Amino acid sequence: MHSVYSRVNNVSATLSTIVMVLLSAIAISSFVFAPHPTGSIEVTSVKVFAGEARRYPHRRQEHAFVTFNLTADLSTLFNWNTKQLFLYLEAEYNNAKGVRNEVIFWDRIVRRKEDAVIAVSGKNKYPFREVSAKFKGSTPANYTLKYNLMPFVGILTYGEAARVTGPIEFPLARDRVE
Amino acid sequence: MFSEELKTLRKLGFRHLLLQVLNFASVLASGLMIWKALGLVTNTESPIVVVLSGSMEPAFYRGDLLFLVNPPNTRYQIGDITVYKIPGQEIPIVHRVLETHDIAKTVNGVREAVRRPENQLLLTKGDNNYLDDVELYQGLDWLERKHIVGKVRGFLPYLGYVTIVMNDFPKLKYAVLGGLGLLALIQRE
Repeated sequence: MHSVYSRVNNVSATLSTIVMVLLSAIAISSFVFAPHPTGSIEVTSVKVFAGEARRYPHRRQEHAFVTFNLTADLSTLFNWNTKQLFLYLEAEYNNAKGVRNEVIFWDRIVRRKEDAVIAVSGKNKYPFREVSAKFKGSTPANYTLKYNLMPFVGILTYGEAARVTGPIEFPLARDRVE
Repeated sequence: MFSEELKTLRKLGFRHLLLQVLNFASVLASGLMIWKALGLVTNTESPIVVVLSGSMEPAFYRGDLLFLVNPPNTRYQIGDITVYKIPGQEIPIVHRVLETHDIAKTVNGVREAVRRPENQLLLTKGDNNYLDDVELYQGLDWLERKHIVGKVRGFLPYLGYVTIVMNDFPKLKYAVLGGLGLLALIQRE
């Protein structure tokens, strides 16, 4: 009845129950915090140039180049169950062929509360290409700053921190840089 | 060493042994049922996956457990972390969606007003990789919904490392499984 086997069994069962209860309590506790991230984003310029398509060297494809100023205070998103924030800038528009496009053109991983107040003036990090080859006839694009909160344990959550007021049109493609 | 166990086994008799086998089988069966029920609820073929590579570090490390959902008739959004499996590639990949392109199909020359989730083209990238995943798509230009197993909803660290160790050392796996099976058989209660 009190064999080594049953003792080991009891201890490990209790231990794993306690760990699971604690982990789920931590996971649930992150819903108690009410984060209020603030920020502002301004797109300073959008330029379009024709270039080569990535895998098809003889096909032309237009690339957009976006520069932006971004300030945000995301420190309220950091609680005891925040492992990291994945921040990303999104452009959303419909092209002339009716395709709805959503593209991440810049991102950043924030791992500490000390780094959560950010001020960046930057340009796109990833190529911003148009699938149909030309931006001509596209609707103006909406630009937003979004985040993905990744916990140590529990549910991943998403949210929006800032948005450019009003959509911004794509200019006509240029052949060369002036 | 085993003589005592063998003696008790002989004492307990054949019926008892059968009962233990039955118990063991019901444990296995209920495990499988829970797994399949989870799959039905979340609409994915594997509701829980183990991270195998470091391409999503520092968010996900090798051995972390991910809980997936795949809501039907819902489009994927950029920023979602998807698990996808390209035909001809055995290991599923966990990467974040970088671009979505929702195509409106043209039927009889008329463009449909609704963009269906199944006509969505996706491009993914690992947070820890410099480049996006086009080179991993085995010649495809885009990822499509049919390739996607699910998106990550929940996260539990480290626990999946057990399965990685088991796969890396198959002898250990057989030893543990055999040991558990033996214990379940000769245990008297």
